[in-house]
Amino acid sequence: MAETKKYWKGIEELTKPESVKGLAENEFNTEISTEEFLGNKENLEGSQTSRRDFLKYMGFSTAAATLAACEAPVVESIPYVVAPEEIIPGIPNYYATSYFDGHDYASILVKTREGRPIKVENNKMAGINGGANARVHASVLDLYDSTRLNNPLINGEEANWSDVDAGISRDLNAAVASGKQVVMLTSTVMSPTTKKLVKEWGAQTNGFKHVMYDAFSYSGKLDAIAAATGKRALPTYKFQNADVIVSFGADFLGDWIGQNVSADYASRRKPGKNMSHHIQFESNMSLTGSNADLRHKIKPSELGNALIALYKELGGNANGGETNLSAQVKDAAEKLRKAGSNGLVVSGTNDADVEAITIAVNKLLGNGGTTVDYSNRTYFRQGNDAAMMQLIEDMNAGRVGALFIDNLNPAYLMAGNSKLTEGLKKVALTVTFAEKENETTALCKYVCARHNYLESWGDFMPADGVYSLQQPLIRPLFNTRQTEDCLVKWMGKNGTYYDYLKANSAATANWKKALHDGVYKASTAAAVVGDDEPGFFERIFGGDDTDSTEQSETVSGGAAVDIASISSRLSKTKGGAYEIQFYENTAMGAGILANNPWLQELPDPITRVSWDNYLTISAADAVELGMENTNESNGALNGSYATVTVNGKTMENVPVFVQPGQAKGSMGLAVGYGRSAAGKVGNDVGVNAFLLMDGSHSAEVKIEKGTGTHGFACTQLAHTMMGRKIVNEVTLDTFLNQPARGEGGWNEVTEFETFKGPLTSDETNLWDDFDHQTGHMWNMSIDLNLCNGCGACVIACHAENNVPVVGKEEVRKHRDMHWLRIDRYYSSDMTEEVAEEQGISGIDMYAAMEKPSSSPEVAFQPVMCQHCNHAPCETVCPVAATTHSAEGLNHMAYNRCIGTRYCANNCPYKVRRFNWFQYEGNSKFENNLAMNDDLGRMVLNPDVTVRARGVMEKCSMCIQRIQLGKLTAKKEGRLLKDGDIQTACQSACDTGAIVFGDVNNKESEVFKLKQNERMYHLLEEVGTQPSVFYQTKVRNRA
Amino acid sequence: MHYEAPIRKPLITGDKSYHDITVDVARPVETKAPRSWWLVFGISLVAFLWGVGCILYTIGVGIGTWGLNKTVGWAWDITNFVWWVGIGHAGTLISAVLLLFRQKWRMSINRSAEAMTIFSVIQAALFPGIHMGRIWLAYFVFPIPNQFGSLWVNFNSPLLWDVFAISTYFTVSVVFWYVGLIPDFAMIRDRAVRPVTKHIYKILSFGWGGKAKHWQRFEEVSLVLAGLATPLVLSVHTIVSMDFATSVIPGWHTTIFPPYFVAGAIFSGFAMVNTLLIIVRKVFKMEDYITIQHIEMMNIIIMITGSIVGIAYITELFIAWYSGVEYEQYAFLNRATGPYWWAYWSMMTCNVFSPQFMWFKKLRTSLMFSFFISIVVNIGMWFERFVIIVTSLHRDYLPSSWSMFSPTFVDIGIFIGTIGFFFVLFLLYARSFPVIAQAELKTILKSSGEKYKQLHEKDGHH
Repeated sequence: MAETKKYWKGIEELTKPESVKGLAENEFNTEISTEEFLGNKENLEGSQTSRRDFLKYMGFSTAAATLAACEAPVVESIPYVVAPEEIIPGIPNYYATSYFDGHDYASILVKTREGRPIKVENNKMAGINGGANARVHASVLDLYDSTRLNNPLINGEEANWSDVDAGISRDLNAAVASGKQVVMLTSTVMSPTTKKLVKEWGAQTNGFKHVMYDAFSYSGKLDAIAAATGKRALPTYKFQNADVIVSFGADFLGDWIGQNVSADYASRRKPGKNMSHHIQFESNMSLTGSNADLRHKIKPSELGNALIALYKELGGNANGGETNLSAQVKDAAEKLRKAGSNGLVVSGTNDADVEAITIAVNKLLGNGGTTVDYSNRTYFRQGNDAAMMQLIEDMNAGRVGALFIDNLNPAYLMAGNSKLTEGLKKVALTVTFAEKENETTALCKYVCARHNYLESWGDFMPADGVYSLQQPLIRPLFNTRQTEDCLVKWMGKNGTYYDYLKANSAATANWKKALHDGVYKASTAAAVVGDDEPGFFERIFGGDDTDSTEQSETVSGGAAVDIASISSRLSKTKGGAYEIQFYENTAMGAGILANNPWLQELPDPITRVSWDNYLTISAADAVELGMENTNESNGALNGSYATVTVNGKTMENVPVFVQPGQAKGSMGLAVGYGRSAAGKVGNDVGVNAFLLMDGSHSAEVKIEKGTGTHGFACTQLAHTMMGRKIVNEVTLDTFLNQPARGEGGWNEVTEFETFKGPLTSDETNLWDDFDHQTGHMWNMSIDLNLCNGCGACVIACHAENNVPVVGKEEVRKHRDMHWLRIDRYYSSDMTEEVAEEQGISGIDMYAAMEKPSSSPEVAFQPVMCQHCNHAPCETVCPVAATTHSAEGLNHMAYNRCIGTRYCANNCPYKVRRFNWFQYEGNSKFENNLAMNDDLGRMVLNPDVTVRARGVMEKCSMCIQRIQLGKLTAKKEGRLLKDGDIQTACQSACDTGAIVFGDVNNKESEVFKLKQNERMYHLLEEVGTQPSVFYQTKVRNRA
Repeated sequence: MHYEAPIRKPLITGDKSYHDITVDVARPVETKAPRSWWLVFGISLVAFLWGVGCILYTIGVGIGTWGLNKTVGWAWDITNFVWWVGIGHAGTLISAVLLLFRQKWRMSINRSAEAMTIFSVIQAALFPGIHMGRIWLAYFVFPIPNQFGSLWVNFNSPLLWDVFAISTYFTVSVVFWYVGLIPDFAMIRDRAVRPVTKHIYKILSFGWGGKAKHWQRFEEVSLVLAGLATPLVLSVHTIVSMDFATSVIPGWHTTIFPPYFVAGAIFSGFAMVNTLLIIVRKVFKMEDYITIQHIEMMNIIIMITGSIVGIAYITELFIAWYSGVEYEQYAFLNRATGPYWWAYWSMMTCNVFSPQFMWFKKLRTSLMFSFFISIVVNIGMWFERFVIIVTSLHRDYLPSSWSMFSPTFVDIGIFIGTIGFFFVLFLLYARSFPVIAQAELKTILKSSGEKYKQLHEKDGHH
């Protein structure tokens, strides 16, 4: 029943509704005299504007005019017309994909924000290469490189795809009609579907050949393996099973054969009875050598003889084997014999003979399947130097009618081979598929603008039983097309490569799950892949043309390998007075990402030099050749120039870097630099070692001193620890058998005599302590045994925290902005003990300590803000811009910072970084692509402020991730779990050296690590009480 | 009338009457500037403008225009700051402390010494401002009420103490100086013939009438301000030294710093007073007021404070060894033998060895030598601050971060600019202000004037 209730608002409304109604109608009690004023003209004219009024009007109009004159920048943000379901602004999405650039492969997760890929993360589900290296972490920036090709090119002019398609089709028909070869030249192709597609496409023409060539070739190694096992594919190396590792020049922690073994290696580097023992024979100081327990210097030409000596020590029959390292080889042999099948010998050359002996040594150890698995192969390197040489010969002989080059830059990689460019001119149709203009695109008629990997579909078969997918994360930014799509189109097929891939993929049945995970697990893949013979490719595609030739001469087990003749050939190798060893350095690899400023600015883990490559020579050779490294008055490093002649080719002005640990008589030179058409960042950085290189990784060299000096951008000026307790280290024997704590212990905590008796620095306090028990207490553990110095964390930090790139000149002035740096220390021959023994005075002792040993031990130490709980920076800031959080972190309020730099001065760890200039939006820093290029800016992490000039910045322990983790847990109504929050450096570290967490959670890993007897704080005695702690380095030797 | 023993040397030489003093002091104000003044002023002005240019360049482009790096965050900026503050110590010491100690000889030099103090504190105050990355936010260092919530300055920070110490010191010094100037401005006002000049000095002299009450108040205010200023002499450089002493950097973290810095400040301040007065007395023909005896007194103080500084240096070395702290030991070893050994030994030579010549009467009464040493001392004191700041920072705890420092043209330009600015101010002062506190000086004419002393002697007044 409806009832009309009447509510009253006041007693008056109830009692006298009429009067209230009257009041409501008459809102203004008194009449407003507008009419009186405005209607009366006389009155209006007679009114005077008072001085006050005049000033008011004038003030207002001036202000209004001023405001109107200021044009506010127009920032357009365009809303989605149809909002994608999965995108919530502010919430990142992660997609699994795979990275492969012809050289590096990794299975990765990519973080996208509002549809923009901004960060690469490791894919923990990956069967192989789930740990991305520094280059893969940096690759996301290349997506936003504004120098990428926007359109395909015909003869260097921008064109549209239909013209390109028509032109290629016409020219290809002509080439086929002429009866000449049609050749597809690519990098290693790890994609089974691409291979199949290429094969299908090639089948349409007669005389089609597919040639693979690797940027840094291991063709000789593959040949030797093919001769021994019958299959031209690399074995899987299982470092996790190796008790003793002996490496002959293999930089397996740096760049080797594409298999990322650092996590496997690290799994056996945890101190304990189970710790592996690693012996390295090498000429250059490599990342691997610097992590070895024993490192022996040897010239590249002597590696073969040392291996023969080892083979003989282990009971093999061979010729030669004279080496001046016989004692060291004997020692290695003994250890290997003891380890038996858990021993592992690896070598790192492109010389088939060396690899043949290595295979034979491993066979003697009986480690097949345990540490070297020939039945589970990897396909990271499949290039064939002989095929490539044949191709060049064919081109020059006019036998090639059409050449398609994909994912490879032969004009740069074979810069020393003039026949290549000559040959290219004789090919009627030259097509290259490239993301950017490079050295090769200039020589080709058609340039098919290629997608970035983040825009492409694909699949990879990095190893037997491992399958991964690549999916696009963003619509193509430019008018580009991926190579496979071109082939699909040219074959006249319906649909796109996506359809082709989906139909032909090994994971077709489980497409969605495979796409989600990025990888297709071996358990499910087994049905497809099979065990050993025939391999995966054969099963799917029925043989592979690169394999077919070798297969005829296969004998399994290596019995047919003629050790006697190989060893006598090898033992006759004559080295020169000076030999050069080409290598790939950590930042640049083969130089594919040379236009990536993050990588260019990444200091080499060994030399700490960025923006350069250089000839590394030993101190003794430097003295002999009259070369030197000196420091300018501002600390910047300078080096002499050398004129280098290799294989009859001379290169002038090669900068010289004196490298401790370099074998005397040997020199190192990194490839990947000296690009001439990489883009504005990468052009003319360093020298092109490929000009000198001739397939082999090492060669005889003639060297002369050049004129002038070269300026290096070296971030570290002092190289030794000066007898200080910085990287604490101990031998395994001491670690196992002696007490850590207490007086004389190997990890003794410094105590101070006080009136209360001896106290540690944590207990002696001038200040009131913060409450560390309530809530979270974030701590970080860094295991110096697991860190191998690879630099992936540095790049991850760059990408996560929008760290600016400052360029060579600024790095040279020691103004690098890295929030996280990896300090590298060499041991010195001088110690306090030596000085005492020899009666050397303090002054002379410290002067001698500054000099690294010629065979130094190396230690790496990642250092970021230590988040001191008694932070020296916090007390000195006049404006309280840096303060302490209740969770044990040291905060930085950029808005409050006035830039006195007092905090940086007072930081014992020197981790604070000052914005000396405006690095964002400043044309002077155009190398800082991520901040000075409209497209480059897309890579910035929107959760992290881009800092302005004059502001101090530093590691925040990825505060944005901590907040996100806490909020997520809160939203889900649960407590934060250990591992919910991972800092960028931690998640980039595939060896697990960095562990972050809450020490108030007694179940957390970081809490357990804090109780570890190896735990120590850096500069503990200063009393800063850092939240970051380190785990003592343990070296496995007496 | 105060009686002074005949054995004391007269503080005013020559046959001077009260009127002579008036005329002598007013002369530079009343006459046209000679060409040499214009020349020096021109050079100073150019240097000053060059400095302004460098400062504007720094503010416009960034601190990166200086030679600093991630390890050495302060170098010439704070070196210059401390150097100028140190120089600024002599004025107040002379006018306040010596007033309280009734040292009559201060009267002919305190005016210029104080002017020097104020001008050098102005130079010093520039540096904490321009060394900031974001100088436009410099007001953040003042504890002003604000709309940022409960945002307040950090009272733990020595840099904040600096803000208070320097601003207080500057204010008190200016007031003290000005109070002393009032009777002298009145004197110039009374003598002025041009109406504009007369009007300006009338305003400046605050209507001084020379009444007994005026003189009484003048004396009282001077004494009160002297009392206020005296602790400031000690506090300012004590607080400046705490910028370093309260830090954790080896070579900075030293409890000896406060007395050591104060002694060094007086040392350099007196040297600067000597530099200026030796020129002033010559140019303005004031040899009768600023006598050799004055210079000698100053030299003795320079010698004493120089020796105190020397003891402090040696104590630092001893304590570094005695502490057993390896970082501390290395810091000092590195100062003396590391890459900046030349700076350390320049400092040692200039500050510790050179003042020892003043033990010889012949040398300390030689004008040329005194002038030379006064310059040497200030060079030495600049190096002292450079050594403390740069050599401590460039090699601290972690060798991985060790670096070096080299100044850019901007660093040098700003320093030269402050010297130019200082001389611009001082030269303007010298031609428009009474450079000797003549009113005060007249009070001792009859007790310490040479003529009157001779009269006493002749008349047998004892």
